[in-house]
Amino acid sequence: MSAPPRPRRPSAELVPPVAEPPAAPAPAPPAPPRSYEKRPFLLDFFPLESEKDTRIARFFVRLREGRLSTTRCARDDLLLWPPRTACPKCHSEELVWVDLPSTGRLYAFSAVLAGAPLGMEGEVPFSVGLVDLEGVPLRLFGRVEGKPWNALAVGEVVHVEAYEVGDGRVFYRFRAGS
Amino acid sequence: MSGRAVALVGGASVPFGVRAATWAELAQEVGAALFREVPELRGEDVDSLFVGAAEPERFAFQSHVAPLAAEQMGLRPTRILQRTELACASGQSAIRSAYAAIAAGLSDVAVAVGVEKMYIPSMAEANTAMGCVMDRPWDGPHGATAPPFFAMVAQRHMLEHGTTEEQLAAVSEKNHRFANTNPHAQFYEKTFSRDKLLRLPLVAPPLRLGDCSSMTDGAAAVVLVGEERARRYTDAPAWIRGTGQYSDFHNLANAGSLTDWVGLKHAAREALGRARIAIGDVDVAEVHDCFTISEIVEYESLGLCPEGAGGAFAADGRGEVGGDLVVNPRGGLLGCGHPLGATGIAQALEIYRQFAHEVPAARQAPDPEWALVHNLSGSANVHSVMVYQAGGAA
Repeated sequence: MSAPPRPRRPSAELVPPVAEPPAAPAPAPPAPPRSYEKRPFLLDFFPLESEKDTRIARFFVRLREGRLSTTRCARDDLLLWPPRTACPKCHSEELVWVDLPSTGRLYAFSAVLAGAPLGMEGEVPFSVGLVDLEGVPLRLFGRVEGKPWNALAVGEVVHVEAYEVGDGRVFYRFRAGS
Repeated sequence: MSGRAVALVGGASVPFGVRAATWAELAQEVGAALFREVPELRGEDVDSLFVGAAEPERFAFQSHVAPLAAEQMGLRPTRILQRTELACASGQSAIRSAYAAIAAGLSDVAVAVGVEKMYIPSMAEANTAMGCVMDRPWDGPHGATAPPFFAMVAQRHMLEHGTTEEQLAAVSEKNHRFANTNPHAQFYEKTFSRDKLLRLPLVAPPLRLGDCSSMTDGAAAVVLVGEERARRYTDAPAWIRGTGQYSDFHNLANAGSLTDWVGLKHAAREALGRARIAIGDVDVAEVHDCFTISEIVEYESLGLCPEGAGGAFAADGRGEVGGDLVVNPRGGLLGCGHPLGATGIAQALEIYRQFAHEVPAARQAPDPEWALVHNLSGSANVHSVMVYQAGGAA
């Protein structure tokens, strides 16, 4: 029994829905994580991105352009995360894509100093945090790069960035201190 | 309560820890222990078997574990055989399912068993297994496992309520001390003073090693029967009087407050309401201390103390024998280890033993009548609660 996410308030800063992403210059993606190597599918956390594997392939197309986006239900005025294909409240499948802000503030953070999953051992220590995105009611979880964990602070501004996973896929993370 | 009354009439566990045993051998061992500990139980009486197992596919490369467990335990269920999976609450799910089946008249004598094998040759793969309890393709790639999530809970609790590392250590010290009365605990005969706990290495700041329950191999089993059969097996049945459950999110982005566990409030209200008691009536509680901060938030969300006062509740010894109620006398997940599927079963077994006065005096709640068991699972996004009453009539 899973209740739908809490109602999301509309925000003026939310980029209006667009049918197709406008052409945007592709920023040079940052260097891949330190230790990524291709893992067997059932030991690989990263999502599959292509049209043949997922109905939200557009998320990754946009991410490749440096844009973090998600879907929104216009009927319920709900901003949904992760991007999905049906509204959990009205079950409409008429969702629209919206861009998300590229900055936010750390609501909470910690770091993995031991006990990393397979393939992430070489990245230890690494920081993770919950980030309140600027101007929208969305608190995203993600890796936080750019500073050691003990130099981070709750409330600190962080930036969203896309990065190459290392095998042609792309994902997002946050960067502090830039 | 509606339906037939259901009693927990006994059970057994194996020693928890790093075991030189496979998943199947743990099931076999707990089966043998169950028939020793509940001598009146006959295999042919058991019509149903519920198997709490969180990740046998990951840790033991084995699916379809319900018939495997039945074979290992020497059981041939004729009515209901199934696995229950709810991550860290898989064991309690097995008990709740057995309870529902018996109350509905679909089963008369059911065994709920929990088995988890977590020590495998690759601990990095084990950590991956723990990571896919979260929203794997969205939270997993960032390296989300339980410690950093509960560390953020601790960070927010410290920020909002002034909770201290010393208060976290008080929870761990208590539960490890209780575990020293439990030979089946992973940390039996290992002492952890508060000073020592505060010097252990950080795992996910602010959480240190002693703030985290460990990966553990273990198994536990209990017998549940309909009211008319209870006295056949024991003089001290533990009656299930209420149960409740609540889930409100999965992806971490959809978590509400990290420090106010609304789901636990809902689940506890439902369970206590069905039992027609208040939290203040509870004499002994087994709550899900996967991390020290969890037990502190649980004090608050269960209503044992005001919001923000959980740290003081721990430091003031209100969960000790002689306190408001005894919390985690078995030794908790911190002291016993946390074999995911077995934990909820072992907690219920402790309640049975508390009611039967079968535990050492150092952890015995004085004449307990009411008990509460709580499990959270995942990122505290599901809460499951059961209420038991000692002795008396059905």
